[in-house]
Amino acid sequence: MAMPESEIREIEAFLFLEARLADESSYDEWEALWTEDALYWVPRRPDLDPAREVSHIYDNRQRIATRMRQLKSGFRYSQTPASPMRRVVSNIEIAPAGADEYEVSANFMLMELAVQSTRNMNFWGGRVLYRLRRVDGQLRMVVKKILLVDADEPIANLAFLI
Amino acid sequence: MGVQQSIAYEGLVRPDRVHGSLYTNPAVFSDEMDRIFHKGWSFVGHTSEVPDIGDFRRRQIGLQPVIITRAPDNEVRVLFNRCTHRGNMICAKESGNTATFVCPYHGWTFGVGGEMRGVPQQGGMGKDFDKSAMGLANVPRLQIYRGFIFACLAAEGPSFDSYLGKARKLLDRACDMSPDGEIDLSAGWLKHRFHANWKMLPENNTDGYHVNVAHASLMRAVNAFSAQAFDEEKGDNSVTRDWGGGHTELDFAARYHQSGRPFQWFGGVPAAKMPDYVARMEQTYGKDMAQKHMIEGPPHAIIFPNLFLAELNISFLIPVSANEVIQYYTPMLLKGAPEVNARALRQTEGAMGPGSFLLPDDACMAERNQLGLAAQSPEWLDLRRGLEREYTDPETGLLSSAVSDEITNRSFWKEYLQLMSQAA
Repeated sequence: MAMPESEIREIEAFLFLEARLADESSYDEWEALWTEDALYWVPRRPDLDPAREVSHIYDNRQRIATRMRQLKSGFRYSQTPASPMRRVVSNIEIAPAGADEYEVSANFMLMELAVQSTRNMNFWGGRVLYRLRRVDGQLRMVVKKILLVDADEPIANLAFLI
Repeated sequence: MGVQQSIAYEGLVRPDRVHGSLYTNPAVFSDEMDRIFHKGWSFVGHTSEVPDIGDFRRRQIGLQPVIITRAPDNEVRVLFNRCTHRGNMICAKESGNTATFVCPYHGWTFGVGGEMRGVPQQGGMGKDFDKSAMGLANVPRLQIYRGFIFACLAAEGPSFDSYLGKARKLLDRACDMSPDGEIDLSAGWLKHRFHANWKMLPENNTDGYHVNVAHASLMRAVNAFSAQAFDEEKGDNSVTRDWGGGHTELDFAARYHQSGRPFQWFGGVPAAKMPDYVARMEQTYGKDMAQKHMIEGPPHAIIFPNLFLAELNISFLIPVSANEVIQYYTPMLLKGAPEVNARALRQTEGAMGPGSFLLPDDACMAERNQLGLAAQSPEWLDLRRGLEREYTDPETGLLSSAVSDEITNRSFWKEYLQLMSQAA
């Protein structure tokens, strides 16, 4: 059965909101999107086993909170000031997963200006796998797994919200 | 044609300061690649990265591409990544397992140990074509110590023993954190690009002075360190050390012995959460020595010029240019210690790499240093901190100083000057 158009629009709107909050380093609002069993993950390879290999980021809910406290401390020099950013989210594919969850994937391209040091314009891109859950009628993010095209290459600071 | 002037390094490295041009001048970088990375010894990789016959992994020594392989005779080789025909970089894949390297240009084929297997239409090569002389070139000198692979691209020069010197003990201390006496670097490498000179990395990595300032955000976000940490004036009796040969250490053992609790270097995890590790350590090393290892933890030290024993991580650098360097990091997994390794993975992600809570701030500082050094005045970087209070430790015989002192930087530059002063 095809998914109702309104449901597709609602999920897309959630992705665009999440992207904008990340772009604008709106730490509190971005953090509020997560469920308690959250996983914010940037692996070095799509099929990487986190029990055996190291990832760039593998944050559970507690570590996400620590990351936000660090960013808000005023002393996170690698994000002081926060990088100006804009990203495009596209090629969205949505699959229902059980009664109140969705597996969503999308491509993204992100321009990030490293104003803290080099003022290089860094260009990031890849595919994002989201797991979303409806909690009390509202969409929330359970998993955001970012598959960078260059995840296994030397990369610049990833201290902003990817 | 102009005459190329050689740089007089004696005038640029002084006991208490170094000249800014050493970080920015491309001619200096070129001399460094030749005199430090190509004529001297450096770290290349670890035997656990190529555990099985046929395993290979690309690496770089200075600016030169090499392949670490496990040959059919089970020996580890380091081969130049260059076809002996026309120079094609024969191995493009980062790592894997293979029986042969086949050049995609004309089909010259080599075994994983480097020996030549054959060339298409061999008749055209002439009667005297000797396949046994046309294998991939081995690096002139290779030494493996407790799994750490070091290479030197010059056939002559200082021996490996004289290069490593007393710092052999630092590698021992790292390996002896494992109840099997062996480490395992199989968790993959995080690679981090710094727009900064490579020397800022070994300098920063054993610099205790920056931690409370550059990493203030982590201190505020978590109780990562005690209130006295990195401040000798507040009672941190950790020690900075010159191991000779440019090898340096920031040794926290004395601070950890103040409370005598094990695993302060590991987020203070209670020993009760790793019972098998504790039992196996006691079995291997005896109760007292095991306790000492678990209190003091693995070393925080630089093996000149490019290896960083970063406590429960291994890190190394690959220079790119005067203004760019890549730093690699992986968890130092301990054989026979699955309880430790599960936590080590998550600890590495927290501390090391471009997405972590520590290293992005170090990268930012290194890049800002590089930008600042474009200013011509003052000409010098100040390295005097601790000069008036460093001492020879009677127990180790090593020049030592307080936790925030720049003895580690001075020790790096002493070796640097020695190597760079040699005629090309």
